[in-house]
Amino acid sequence: MNLFGMLEVSGSALSAERWRAEVVSANMANAETTRTPEGGPYRRQLVVFRGRHLPRFPLLLATMRQAPEQGVRVDRVVPDASPLPRRYEPGHPDADSSGYVTYPNVNPVMEMTDLLSAVRAYQLNAAAVQAAKNMIQQSLQILS
Amino acid sequence: MNPISSLRILPAELNAASLTPDGASGHGFRKVLDSAIDDIQQLESQAETKVAGVLGGNGADVHSAMIAVEKADLSFQLMMQVRNKIVSAYQEISRMQF
Amino acid sequence: MTNRMIETPITEALGRFLDVDVARYKLISSNLANIDTPGYHTRDLDFRSELRRAAAESSGIEPGELQPASFTPVSRTVRGLMERPDGNNVSVERESLALAEAQMKFNLGVQLLKDQFHTIGLAINSGGSSS
Repeated sequence: MNLFGMLEVSGSALSAERWRAEVVSANMANAETTRTPEGGPYRRQLVVFRGRHLPRFPLLLATMRQAPEQGVRVDRVVPDASPLPRRYEPGHPDADSSGYVTYPNVNPVMEMTDLLSAVRAYQLNAAAVQAAKNMIQQSLQILS
Repeated sequence: MNPISSLRILPAELNAASLTPDGASGHGFRKVLDSAIDDIQQLESQAETKVAGVLGGNGADVHSAMIAVEKADLSFQLMMQVRNKIVSAYQEISRMQF
Repeated sequence: MTNRMIETPITEALGRFLDVDVARYKLISSNLANIDTPGYHTRDLDFRSELRRAAAESSGIEPGELQPASFTPVSRTVRGLMERPDGNNVSVERESLALAEAQMKFNLGVQLLKDQFHTIGLAINSGGSSS
């Protein structure tokens, strides 16, 4: 198979899923962060995946007869707009005038599930890379 | 055409009797050799294109390039065998005493 | 004329078989890469009909003539797959199975091709000693 093009598709997925896993890790680490450097509590981040046609170079596309394969990329990392939970903790340094503390909208269980999903997707695409490697090595055997 | 059966035809044609001075006889040496050389050139240039495609990162698949290289290889071996037959036929003639 | 000894119907058929298999692998790879892409639908190809199409495309070509650059597969979306809330319908099980299948088919094709070339090589080098 086209050495560069094929592995690019799987490679793009490995990058994207890893980025996703890192965002999830950041969420989990900041699950209780009530005050960020910018002020205000931490807000959950999530990644938005988008399909990406490969190869990217338009000149290459013109010479190839095959339909370009579709890889994936992280389109953007956006804050989760869902409401931030508030808990009544009057003694807390970040409590507001009514004694409520605003916490991050991070649900550790959901983050964990997300992380497992990212890991599994990563493993699947790593298997695809392995398959490509095997096929290339097999191809070399055609030469006597 | 099955490769094995077609190759059995070769020795039948390439005996000493068909080695005419101008190589003009029907299925003579000359014709077969020319054909073999043409084939090599064709197959080798195809193989070159495909391998260049693989190395350049676009175009041919690896397996496709390997197949092309192997074909060019076999084609060369075939040509060598034809050449050997010609040489041995020539030697057979020169051994004849008149 | 000598080309027909090397580019036999079997070697050509096996070459096309590998082409179709690799084309399928590329689709599987795209599916796996987009397993989390919202709205993405699984793509696949019909192995048998693609094989037939490849055979038909090359039937008009004499051995040794320049062959088309590369095989362009006709892919289609797969029906009957369950769609998740984000519109994605890629099934891990289906793609994993397809991936294993593609690899096995490729190995099979290469082994058969190796064997065929080996036989041709034997025929060339040790077949038909004339005197």
